[in-house]
Amino acid sequence: MDKLLEMRGIVKRFGRVEALRGVDFHVNRAEVVGLVGDNGAGKSTLVKTIVGVYHPDEGEIYWEGKPTIFRDPGEARAAGIEIVYQHLALIDLLSISRNIFLGREPVKRIGPIAFLDRRAMDEQSWEIIKSIGLRRLRSPSERVAKLSGGERQSVAIGRAMHFKAKLLILDEPTAALSVRETRKVLDHVLEVKNQGVSVIIISHNIYHVYEVSDRIVVLDHGRKILDVRKEEVTPEDVIEVIRKGEPLQKAGS
Amino acid sequence: MATQTASSRKSLLLLISQHPELGVIASFSIIALAFLVISPDKFPTSSTLYSILTLAGELGVTSIGVAFLMITGEFNLSVGSVYALVPMFVVLMVDAGMDMLLASVIMLSVAFGIGVLTGYITVRTGIPSFITSLGMMMFLRGILLAITGGFPVRLEGSHWLTDVLNGAVGVEGLRTSAAWLLALTLIFLIILDYTPYGNWTYAVGASPATARELGVKVWRVKLVNFGISSLLAGLAGLMALSRFKIVDPTLGQGLELEAITSAVLGGCLLTGGYGSIFGTFLGALLVALTRVGLVLAGAPAYWYSAFIGVILIIATIINTYVVRKFVTSG
Repeated sequence: MDKLLEMRGIVKRFGRVEALRGVDFHVNRAEVVGLVGDNGAGKSTLVKTIVGVYHPDEGEIYWEGKPTIFRDPGEARAAGIEIVYQHLALIDLLSISRNIFLGREPVKRIGPIAFLDRRAMDEQSWEIIKSIGLRRLRSPSERVAKLSGGERQSVAIGRAMHFKAKLLILDEPTAALSVRETRKVLDHVLEVKNQGVSVIIISHNIYHVYEVSDRIVVLDHGRKILDVRKEEVTPEDVIEVIRKGEPLQKAGS
Repeated sequence: MATQTASSRKSLLLLISQHPELGVIASFSIIALAFLVISPDKFPTSSTLYSILTLAGELGVTSIGVAFLMITGEFNLSVGSVYALVPMFVVLMVDAGMDMLLASVIMLSVAFGIGVLTGYITVRTGIPSFITSLGMMMFLRGILLAITGGFPVRLEGSHWLTDVLNGAVGVEGLRTSAAWLLALTLIFLIILDYTPYGNWTYAVGASPATARELGVKVWRVKLVNFGISSLLAGLAGLMALSRFKIVDPTLGQGLELEAITSAVLGGCLLTGGYGSIFGTFLGALLVALTRVGLVLAGAPAYWYSAFIGVILIIATIINTYVVRKFVTSG
């Protein structure tokens, strides 16, 4: 199968702590991978290693078949990886539209000077706000400080989806959301998958992950202990694996 | 009807939250009105306006750079020293026979470099810029005093550049510094609010870690903005030289605090990420207005500082309230 991202034998140490201990991990094209595990299992470290926040101490990373280690998140973003962090990476003091386009602002050139294309920013932001279905429609020029937790999450996800990534990484996307907002997010995951985008979704809620994933990967103390197609397991099996911290023992085997 | 009021109320709130300069517009109007009542015949004249603009010129140009850096989340206390250092060396070079334009370009580049160096020390070590720029301020002032022995230096002969930077226009007291102030206000207002670089500046000031995650080159923005604050202070120093033709080694002492005053009056937060160049312009005008107004009202000059102190505190209370109420609260 055509692998979009492949990681082999990834080791990441912080001082004497081994956060990742030889992890093999891959994502196929247009595949949704659920990445689960208990606190401290290494899920966030793994995705931060993908986007270049951390650099692996050992192991190889292949992006679209080529050995690639991104130096920083900007490079990963330019290559087509969008990440929505648990902390959302939104700036309270800035408006919604300035947040959405921060670091890749649309410009209009007048002579040698590149001006912000504020109309394009506001119009596209408005489209994003409508498409993510904020409960109350918000003006793109409202500051993010004014939004509720769920609305912020929606803006962060809307931003990531707007830029047509090849790989979308969602770190705990439903943690702060209402039932209705959670539904929206999960629908969005399936929607981008249908557009051919690959997704890595990290969550504590196994049922949310299970619902949208094609494949489920469980990490435990920096090791991969499960990597199966969804059809092969039930959500309860996954929870059992996470709880025990050891691979699945099928009844009778 | 009800929804109409609700939506107009909502757009009013949006207006307040988007314009940090509303507070300074209000205080400016009130204080101007007060002086109008106190001295109705002397205050509303063109020569009063020109005096205010002349006083605001050098302070305003310095304040724009300080405000721009403050929005980036950093301080530069060395602007007062740079304000004296640049014209001092220009005078020494010109009196030694160098062309004034060339000397000015060299010294403005040096000023930019001093700012970048202060910024580099700040971001490299993680020491607050309040301290690094305080050290730079003392270092530069010491150099000035040491090489002049504490005596002022005089610019000999006449130079066309002094007429451009701060020459008299007409006989009523209008000077070209007013045009520089207006032009620089406009330029930096446009950079801040209408270019990607301005967006990065806000973001770096509000949350450098997040800005970095989103691909903004945080270091570069900070270093450049340190450089700009120093460059504008140097330019303002040349404007002062053009007005007085003499540079005292203590020139500009306390200017850094007056510049911060203008920026804060204009709505800039000390914590970065929020502020207004137009507001800062009005802040500098307000400081100048107060000084001129008090003189016209016949108050002893000593009262000026006390008056500014009170205005600063009241304006900051109002600005803080506005920010809490309309900007940062959910």
